[in-house]
Amino acid sequence: MITVNELRKSFFVHKKAPGFWGSVKSLVRREQIEKEAVRGVSFEIGEGEIVGLLGANGAGKTTVVKMLAGIIHPSGGEARVLGHVPHERDDRFRSQIALIMGQKAQLWWDLPAADCFLLLKEIYRIPDERFRENLDHLTDVLGVHDYLNVQVRRLSLGERMKMELIAALLHDPRVVFLDEPTIGLDLSAQRAIREFLTEYQQTRRPATILTSHYMEDIEHLCRRIIIIREGELVYDGLLEDVMRTYAPRKVVTATLAEGADGRVAEAGLGELGEVTDAGGGRVRLLMARSDVARNAARLMDVLPVIDLTIEEPDVGQVIENIMTARRS
Amino acid sequence: MSPRLFLHVLSLEARKSMSYRVDFWLNTIVGFAISVGYVTFLWLSIYAQSGEEFVEGFTLPGLILYYVLIFLIARIVTGNSQSGIVSGEIYEGRYTKFLLYPTRYLPFKYAENLGSLVPSLIQAVVFGFVALTLIHAPGVNNMTAGTLAMAVVSVAMASVLLFLLFVPLQGVAFWADNVWSLYVMLRMVCAFLGGQMLPLSLFPDWAQTVLAWTPFPYLFYVPTQVALGNLGPLEWARGLVMAGVWCAVMAGVIRAVWMRGERRYTGVGI
Repeated sequence: MITVNELRKSFFVHKKAPGFWGSVKSLVRREQIEKEAVRGVSFEIGEGEIVGLLGANGAGKTTVVKMLAGIIHPSGGEARVLGHVPHERDDRFRSQIALIMGQKAQLWWDLPAADCFLLLKEIYRIPDERFRENLDHLTDVLGVHDYLNVQVRRLSLGERMKMELIAALLHDPRVVFLDEPTIGLDLSAQRAIREFLTEYQQTRRPATILTSHYMEDIEHLCRRIIIIREGELVYDGLLEDVMRTYAPRKVVTATLAEGADGRVAEAGLGELGEVTDAGGGRVRLLMARSDVARNAARLMDVLPVIDLTIEEPDVGQVIENIMTARRS
Repeated sequence: MSPRLFLHVLSLEARKSMSYRVDFWLNTIVGFAISVGYVTFLWLSIYAQSGEEFVEGFTLPGLILYYVLIFLIARIVTGNSQSGIVSGEIYEGRYTKFLLYPTRYLPFKYAENLGSLVPSLIQAVVFGFVALTLIHAPGVNNMTAGTLAMAVVSVAMASVLLFLLFVPLQGVAFWADNVWSLYVMLRMVCAFLGGQMLPLSLFPDWAQTVLAWTPFPYLFYVPTQVALGNLGPLEWARGLVMAGVWCAVMAGVIRAVWMRGERRYTGVGI
């Protein structure tokens, strides 16, 4: 449903020298510099798939979403969504997609949500019965029926985000772009939206791209992730495989019997893994994934261990390391 | 854009424009009173200084009636075309949502523009009726039901023309961060060359001849003179043709600006 091949985007930005003279000079002549935001990204997304698009700020993930939604023109490469070239903005294409922006309200600020939905019904030419059915279902699932007649600007952030979701999904889009849908929301609102999106994805099966800085969103909703770093695609695969590929070691924490701290130095722990913390009756090591069972057993032989935990490193931290690593 | 959607947008905007009661009354009474007040005092002193009953064919009541009508007509013609909504949406990235919707942006904005006219229409009916009852201006006021009907057509055409005149300028927001100064300038040009500051018949003959080939007289001056019955059917029809030609020219300019502008649009804010 979404095919992206060597997609590129460059922006020209004005460069201005600092200070008063810089401002004066810029009135006459301004230097332009080219910034490559996306450098040859390729991937495919099928029906019913939800893919997390991850990257640090400025990595180019929102630029990719904007190109796929037809908001901006690519500088090179090709993108097709539902067989359409997005930036040609054919009405048949636009009738089948939705973009939900957590940081940008799309509803009409001065109107009650119900009026906005009626306007969208006309824009998307949704038949009466389908509109009523979809609106009832979405307002029930999101629990916002009582706020339909409240002006959008008077809604709380969580309520407004739920209304934005309804507005974007009323016309049964086949492709959904979710850009930071839970940003700024409290924990319960985040959870409600995640649960709603899970249910929606299972029942309606659109192809969905989700960008979020919250790992809970990604872990809860996406099996597959794409990581973009400085405009380049650096990972495209299953979320669980990220750990195998980029986190080859597990975290082993042993709580020691009283008075055993003095024996840690002579225990030869360096052969078992990298010691990251020792003292206070506890040692923590990073052990190779393939040797973790054998080395954990040896640890219990060389030290009086009363409790032992073996954990995956924090997935968010691993992804952040990938996202922020410098290009070589 | 379907007629049904056009009417829906128009009706929504009309309801919105009347939902702010304080703004509605302040705009209606204070705005109108100030506009008419300053020209009245200015011309009172000019007539007093000159000691003449007629200045360039106008009596003082005739001139005041002209100003009342041209202010009312200008409000209807203008709507929200000069409020910078389009440039604001481009600059702040709110234009993004219109790129996503399966509809055309400019007809959508024009429907909003028409919806925003409701307060101006109410003003025109109320103040127009009061002015015509109170001000007796033989020679200036030759209004009949026929001239009013012709003026309605001229005003409708002028409304489209003014909208199309401002859109390309607002489209400069695709390139520049601040276009406010540009459209303030165009507003002043429209007011001056459209006869809002001074009746165009007071301009030198050569200036009137040149102006007749520009779009400006057809915005406010011609519809006002048509309403007052001072232009015949032939001049009325000529005005409509000229306004129509300028609409076609501006539609071409808008198409060129938008085709290039949308390629530069970056959708800031997301």
